Formats: sequence, C-alpha cells, structure tokens
Amino acid sequence: MANLNKGRHVGIVGVGQTHHSRRRTDVSQAGLVREAVDRALADAKLTMDDIDTVVIATGPVLFAAVNQPEKWVADAIGAQLKPIVRVTSGGGAGFAGGLAGYYQVAGGFADRTLVVAYDKLSEGALQYSISTLYDPFWGREFAVGIMGFSAAYWRARMDVLGHTEEAAARVAVKNRRNAIANPYAHVKKEVTLDEVLESKPLCWPIKLLDVPPISDGAAAIVLAAEHVAHKSCDRPAWIHGIAYCCEADNAAERSLLLSEPLALAAKHVYRAAGITNPRRQFDVVEVQEPYTCFELNYYESLGLCPPGGAAELIASGATELNGDIPVNPSGGCLGANPIGACGLIRLIEGATQVMGKSENTQIKDAKLALVQSGGGWANLRGCAVLGA
Amino acid sequence: MLSAPDTWAIDMPPLHAELNMPYTLTPGRATGTFLAEIGTRRIVGSRFASGIVIAPAQDFSPIDGESEYEFIEAPATGVLTGFTTVDGVTIGLIRLDGCDNDFAHRILGDEEPTLDARVEAVWADGVDTSILAIEGFRIAADAPVGEVKPFGDTAAPVEVVKYKLDLQYEHAYGPYYGRMFDEIRTNRRIMGVRLPDSDSALLPPREADDISHKRTGTWKTCLDTGTIRACSIINLEFLGQTRPPPYVYAEIVLDGASTKMIHMIDIDDIESAKQRIKPGTRVRAVWREGERVGSLRDIERFEVIDE
Repeated sequence: MANLNKGRHVGIVGVGQTHHSRRRTDVSQAGLVREAVDRALADAKLTMDDIDTVVIATGPVLFAAVNQPEKWVADAIGAQLKPIVRVTSGGGAGFAGGLAGYYQVAGGFADRTLVVAYDKLSEGALQYSISTLYDPFWGREFAVGIMGFSAAYWRARMDVLGHTEEAAARVAVKNRRNAIANPYAHVKKEVTLDEVLESKPLCWPIKLLDVPPISDGAAAIVLAAEHVAHKSCDRPAWIHGIAYCCEADNAAERSLLLSEPLALAAKHVYRAAGITNPRRQFDVVEVQEPYTCFELNYYESLGLCPPGGAAELIASGATELNGDIPVNPSGGCLGANPIGACGLIRLIEGATQVMGKSENTQIKDAKLALVQSGGGWANLRGCAVLGA
Repeated sequence: MLSAPDTWAIDMPPLHAELNMPYTLTPGRATGTFLAEIGTRRIVGSRFASGIVIAPAQDFSPIDGESEYEFIEAPATGVLTGFTTVDGVTIGLIRLDGCDNDFAHRILGDEEPTLDARVEAVWADGVDTSILAIEGFRIAADAPVGEVKPFGDTAAPVEVVKYKLDLQYEHAYGPYYGRMFDEIRTNRRIMGVRLPDSDSALLPPREADDISHKRTGTWKTCLDTGTIRACSIINLEFLGQTRPPPYVYAEIVLDGASTKMIHMIDIDDIESAKQRIKPGTRVRAVWREGERVGSLRDIERFEVIDE
C-alpha cells in the first residue's frame, strides 16, 4: 500500500447532517442533501464559493432510481461548474467519499473539499436492490440482501470466536441506549438484553433488534488543508491516517471469520498515526455496524482485543460510555441508517468528539478517535484515525 | 488427470435476467406543488429572490443553487429553443414566456417546428399529478405572449410518486461459466478449474487465481456433496425472494472445491434447524427433475446427509 505519511495535512473543519428519519416526504433526495451541505458550510463558516472541489457519495443507483444523481445534487447545492466526482461503494460509500476528498486535499489538488453523502432508502426496495451486488450467475437468485450472508458468518464465528447471541445483544442494548442522546438519530428506545434475545429471528442468528432501521438521511463535511483550516475553526479534527481495502471473498481457502481488509487497513493506518496499542491510545471509537454482530468482529479486526476476545470486551463494559474505550457513543447505525451516508456520519461523530463539540454524549478530553466503516460481510472496509 | 471438455461454452445463449424494482419517490416541495396543481391546468413555477424564474417549479435554482423562492403561475405559452425529430416524433425544449429555463416536452401537430417558433400547451384530459397533464406543445405562431403571475394559495405538495424500473439484461456466460453451466445442464456435473499447483478446484471456474493472479489449471469435476461453511435461517419475506421462508441460506464448499457456493436447504422449523444444520454439516445436492436450464436452479436444493 502507498505510504500514508505522504501528502499534506488534512483536517475536518465543518460537519453537518440531517435529522434522519424513516421517511422524509417533505424533501426530495436533492433537498435532503442540501440540508446537510448548508449545515456543514455554516459550521465551517464558509460558502460554496470557498469550496474548490466536491465529492458526492451515495449507495447504488437502484436504491433510489436516479442515475448519475450527482448532476441533480450539484444543481441543488449550488456546485454548478465545480470539479465534482461521484463515489459509490456499497455500505462504505460515505467513508470512500471522505477518502476521495482526503486524497484531493492531501495531494494538493484542492485546499477545501466538500464531501457529501446520502441515501433516501424509503424510496426503493432495499434488500432486493442489495441482492443485485451478487454475481447474476452464481448466487444472486438465493441472496437475502446482505442479511443472510452476514448472519451465516456470524453463525460460523459463534463456534470459533465465541461471538454469542448474548454478546451481540449487548451491542444492541448499548448502542440503542446511546442513540437516545443523539439529536440526529430517529430510533431512540432503550431495550433490554432479554428483549433483544427474544425478538423475532429474521435471518437467525440475526434477530429484529440486532438490525438497524432503514433511514433517509444525508451528511456533509468540509476538509481543509492546514494553511486554510484556521479560517473555519480553532480545533480541526486532523486525519492522521485513512485507508479502505477490498475483501477477496471468492478466493480459495478464505474463512471470512475475521475481516481481513479491515485488519489490513488498520495496520497501515496505525503505522501512519503511530498507534501501537489501540485499546489504550484511543479515547473513542465509532464503527459502522449494519448488524450488532459486526461490532464484535470489528473489536477484533481493529485490535481492540485479540481474536475471540470480543464477547468478553463487550461484557466487561469497557465499550460503554463510561468505559475505557467507548464504542459508538452516537448509537451507531442502530440509531439511524441512511446507508450511503453512514460512513461519513461515523467520521463526523469521531471528528466532533476530538473537536470537543459532540452533540451526543461528549467523551471527556477525547483527543484521538478511531473510525471504522464498510459494507456488508465480505466487502470493502476501512478505518481512519482522527486527532485534535 | 487432464479432463478434455466434451461440451462447449459456445452452446450457451446469454442468461436473460430481469429486475422489476418498485419505487415511491418524493418530489419535494416545489415539484410536489407543481404536480398537485397541474391537474387544474395551472403551471406552477418558482421565482427566486434574485429574480430568476424557473418553470416547472424547482426547490433550487439550476443557475446557482439559490433556495429562497415564491411560487408563481407561468403562462402556457412560450418559444421553442431546440428540438429533435425521430421517427416522426418531435421532442422540443420549451422556454415559457417570462421564464429563464428550458424544459423538454413533446411537440404535437403537423406543423414543421422551427427554432424560436411560438408554442402553446395542449392539455390532456383526465391526467393529473404528472407532467403528462400537458399532452405536449403545439406550434402556434399567433399565440399571445403570456405573463408570469403571482400564485395565490397553492395546493399541498404531492409527497409520493409511484415509479418502477423494469430492467432487462442479457449476461454473457463467457468460456468458463459457459462450460460450467453447460456441464450442469447437460451432465448434472459441477466442474471447476484447478488452482495453480493444486488439485483443489476454484468454483465458479475462472481464468486466474484471485490472490496469486496465476493462470488456473485444468478442469476438475467436483462432487455434488459438500460441507457447510456458514449458514443462516431465513425467516423474513422480501421482494424478489425465490422461495417461502423459513429455509436455510447456506454457503457450501463442495467436495473437491476450495471455494463456496450459495444454495438453500429446506427445513421444517427454525428450532430443529438450529440443531441440525451448522457449519461443518454434510450436505448433498438434490437435482431438479425435468428440463434443466443451465443455472444453479437446476439444483432444487441441498439436503443434509444423515450419517
């Protein structure tokens, strides 16, 4: 992989997101994006005139039936005649958009880049759309979105890594409780361990309360180079490392039990950011957990605990708000899940923690945040380290 | 052992695939209001704070993204700013009188279209909440120049528009998939290709190994028995589903292969399936009776081998 220590320093200097909901019937897809962009630009004390380049990230076209949506979005956000690229990359689309923006600023091609990510999932047939990511000859007719697949490898991890239903249920209890303090989340209801364990099996072992909502939502950030960052804020969230790697899920002899691409991304990012003991060094972690079982896997792939240690880590309470390594103080995807935006939302939640201005529960003196994002079970996955 | 092919990929016509996707799209306030009023034969536009007038109405100015606007009623007359004719059908770009944008619609009638010709809306009967409430525009040299007027109380915007995409694809099999599916169809035989320096098969077969990128080797027949690597119990209904739940979604490594294949296992109930079907469980293919088509559906399902 490329040397992640090359390039200019890049900071997140403004953030904005919509109040996510199950269905927004008052705005179009483009109008939804506009809300997030207005908030991010206001937060960065900038207007569109100050923006050099724009990255627009969304999920697959089939989610919402608009091909080349960046054209529509550019008109709606006043980005006509700007350099624009669209990035789409499954569940990690928003994070991949952030990465594309990072490259532009780090490489010196732009001083300020606006990254916006969204999905308006109420408008299409979600699982059906997701199933089209499968090979049309080899498996698509049996696909159950990513839920069947993700559940299958959770089942396999139960035997090998001890990721029990109870351990995953603890993730549901924690994240759903944390989401209550998040002004942008739309599922805000506390649940008990028993309620999760007794909820309806959808793709067993995945049960109803292991599953996030389906949401309409958008998020935006402004990335800035060091010499202009101070014009927007005194305390940017600097990106100390960011990487996004691809799985090889059809290759021979792959167990798919740990997330190999995430572990690879973490290795490179930690080297760039000088992380040798993630559990001790990070003050806060934000992960994109499409289902609760994913968070357990990420603990291990990110090195917060050894393989097989995730059930013990969640049970110890260390990843709770008052633990030594809080994970998803925002409530994660269980509070809101506009898929294409989720990766960028995780970056925002990590950034606002180290900027000291989280609108959720602020982790005291948070200086270093780990952010993870990625798509379904075997897909592209990445992580970033953000520091004050 | 070298297994010479006795069937050929060239026999396989492309795989026909269809996606039939339903949508419920939200037009937003401006377009929603335009759609709500068009059935009353009034064209709603937006006049932005800068004075720019856009019709049909938009929430954001296409010039610069401006978002402060008031609704106006645009006239049903304008000029033709561009057109194209294919097979006798003309699509034109229309700029309504007093407006600053062009939009596309049909040009009706026998009169030859010319640039800058005056045009007038032809209203359709019995159509509302659609741009097709205007059937099209006719060339009308004598149409008076209309004016943009303030719009009083507008109807509540249409919030949801039903839509669908019916997409048809013809996927080419290529030589590797072609051979494999031809073998499945003709001989009920599942064939992969050997990994470089190995007797184990890549399934589905392909030209190069995913990790080493070395060329794969000779063809190898895998058995139709195998071992479950991962499985889940599907207990939800969704659009596009090919069998009623509950059933098991299984990733199976066939004997002789080193990669997974996805298939289904029928079950009686969820609780007994949890006990009976797990990673490591041995399974066999149950082939479909009757005509085979050369797809994974030629295997009806997998079943547990009782040992």
